[in-house]
Amino acid sequence: MTAYFIRRFLLIIPTFLGITILVFTVTRMVPGGPIERMLTEAQLASGDQVSFQSNNQGIAGSTLSESQLNQLKEYYGFDKPILESYGIWLKNILLLDLGYSTRYGEPVWESIKQRLPISIYYGVMTMLLTYMVCIPLGILKAIKHKTHIDNISSILVFIGYAIPGYVMGIIVITIFAFYLEWFPLSGFTSNNFDELSFIGKVKDILWHSVLPLIAYMSGAFAVMTFLMKNSLMDNLAADYVRTAMAKGMEFKTAVVKHAFRNSIIPIATNFGENITLFLAGSFLIEKIFNIDGFGLLGYESLVERDYPVVMGILVIGSLLSLIGNILSDICVALVDPRVRFGA
Amino acid sequence: MASKDVLLKVDNLTTTFQTDEDSITVLDDVTFDLHHGESLGIVGESGCGKSVTALSIMRLLPKPAGQVVKGTVTYNDENLLSLSREKMYTIRGKKIAMIFQEPMTALNPVHRIGKQLGEIYQIHFPEMSEAESHAAQIDILEKVGIPSPEKRLREYPHQLSGGMRQRVMIAMALSCKPDILIADEPTTALDVTTQNQILNLMRELQQEINMSIIFITHDLGVIAEMCDRVIVMYAGRIVEQAPVKDLFSTPHHPYTKGLLESIPRLETPPKSRLEIIEGLVPNLKNIPEGCRFRSRCDFEVEDCSKTDPKGEPIGDESHRTVACIRWQELSS
Repeated sequence: MTAYFIRRFLLIIPTFLGITILVFTVTRMVPGGPIERMLTEAQLASGDQVSFQSNNQGIAGSTLSESQLNQLKEYYGFDKPILESYGIWLKNILLLDLGYSTRYGEPVWESIKQRLPISIYYGVMTMLLTYMVCIPLGILKAIKHKTHIDNISSILVFIGYAIPGYVMGIIVITIFAFYLEWFPLSGFTSNNFDELSFIGKVKDILWHSVLPLIAYMSGAFAVMTFLMKNSLMDNLAADYVRTAMAKGMEFKTAVVKHAFRNSIIPIATNFGENITLFLAGSFLIEKIFNIDGFGLLGYESLVERDYPVVMGILVIGSLLSLIGNILSDICVALVDPRVRFGA
Repeated sequence: MASKDVLLKVDNLTTTFQTDEDSITVLDDVTFDLHHGESLGIVGESGCGKSVTALSIMRLLPKPAGQVVKGTVTYNDENLLSLSREKMYTIRGKKIAMIFQEPMTALNPVHRIGKQLGEIYQIHFPEMSEAESHAAQIDILEKVGIPSPEKRLREYPHQLSGGMRQRVMIAMALSCKPDILIADEPTTALDVTTQNQILNLMRELQQEINMSIIFITHDLGVIAEMCDRVIVMYAGRIVEQAPVKDLFSTPHHPYTKGLLESIPRLETPPKSRLEIIEGLVPNLKNIPEGCRFRSRCDFEVEDCSKTDPKGEPIGDESHRTVACIRWQELSS
């Protein structure tokens, strides 16, 4: 098994290289890069007169001088052959130097780092709560198949699935934050967060996160719950459960000891995928609740063509998904011995 | 028939399966006895109710679809079908054990052999220590002819061959020295050589612990080799019951005759056509009136559609029954 995982880890290197090449090529090829954006901004800033002039002279003239433009090109590496500038970019990435945001001027890694704790917090909470709800609910539904409990929970789960997360967000904000005023309208912490005691801080964060978590999770139950239910039902009908019963084992014990372990194999496969999902977040929900997370950052930088940030997010995101995949593999190998020896 | 010799008595067993639209009677009025130390074969085509008979006795029918609606299964003066669930747990595995057709799927892929084998001792002999259980496991694996049992106990099912897995299943079934072993097509999924080894092994172990075996198969060759008495089933009914020698020498029911004729034999000239029974098993959803076999029977007369033949005992041969209204004229 160790050899298998060493091989898997080594495979990260070529995959990661491939991803960086793609990211680099795509951002280079898409028209409207940072230089064009700066030109427009400069035009807007210097008013109509200049803009009229620039229309006549094209991009090269106008507000920025030739030397300024060259400086910019040099800064973004546009002046060098594509391979060379890719090499420089790659080297910088490996040193965690993701460049500077063209929008704020601050290092990309800084703005990503600021958002990470918030996104990780919501991601981990969503994932934990989803597993904590879906696995027991799936088991219950499988054992009580076609009873009232099963049918009613199916309806609820599907309603949650059918309502988009941001709509759910607006609904819960309207009811619980606006009319009932039970929860805050938005934000990650209160304004007086720094003055609070440790327990106060924890409470404050939890209090702020109830509504966003509801919005995040309302749709997440359906897939996992039904995956659990169906997979357990398959395994309940499996021959080895019958063998266990034929040995004289009680039904409950047979479910726990034999069917359950086999039915979490597909759930384990899903595990790593969820890690990437939660980091990507949902910019709509983040926007509604005014949470400064990863999703919002990615969305805004894309709209603003803030390429260093976009590239930084893509690179980190894909690295995380690679790690997520390996985590999935480890999880599957832990529950399924056939995988351990088969590879 | 000496009733004190009877170990398991199945009376009028009727089992139905509930489908979305209606319920299907898959087992209709099945009655037979199993004697001490006897090997009883149950033979028939796929879907004739062989396995359902076994699962009904064990009370392991797939829930909630399968249900025994009538009849009794008497073991030790108790009706197994009305026992409490807790009581049944103490009988399954310990008094009546079962092995299944598919050794590939009958073992749990994620647990080691040792764990799955050890469970039986845990269930039925909770006072046994870890070490005692381990010793017993090695002992039983050796008994079923598994080399280096110590190593095998630490392995997973997928690391074992089909024959090995079936041996493990047999070891599991026999670890409590049950009174009755129900073997549901135990050799069907194995190649012929392995099949022979497994059959020999079962026979040896049967003599050693003096148990009765209900042997379910569609292979008359296996029946001839293994069994003392045979039950022939067709479409959920018993059509003929006889000691194995009598069945092969003087079959009475047209279906049994058809089955025997459809076995390829060495003495028939090469390239000659194999006798078959024309047609298919009737759909259990709408069973024809009268005899269930009549649509495929060469000897059908008008009366066959009117009377529903019950298994009638044949003369003083008390172990024989046949369910055909014309058996006497056909056999003479």
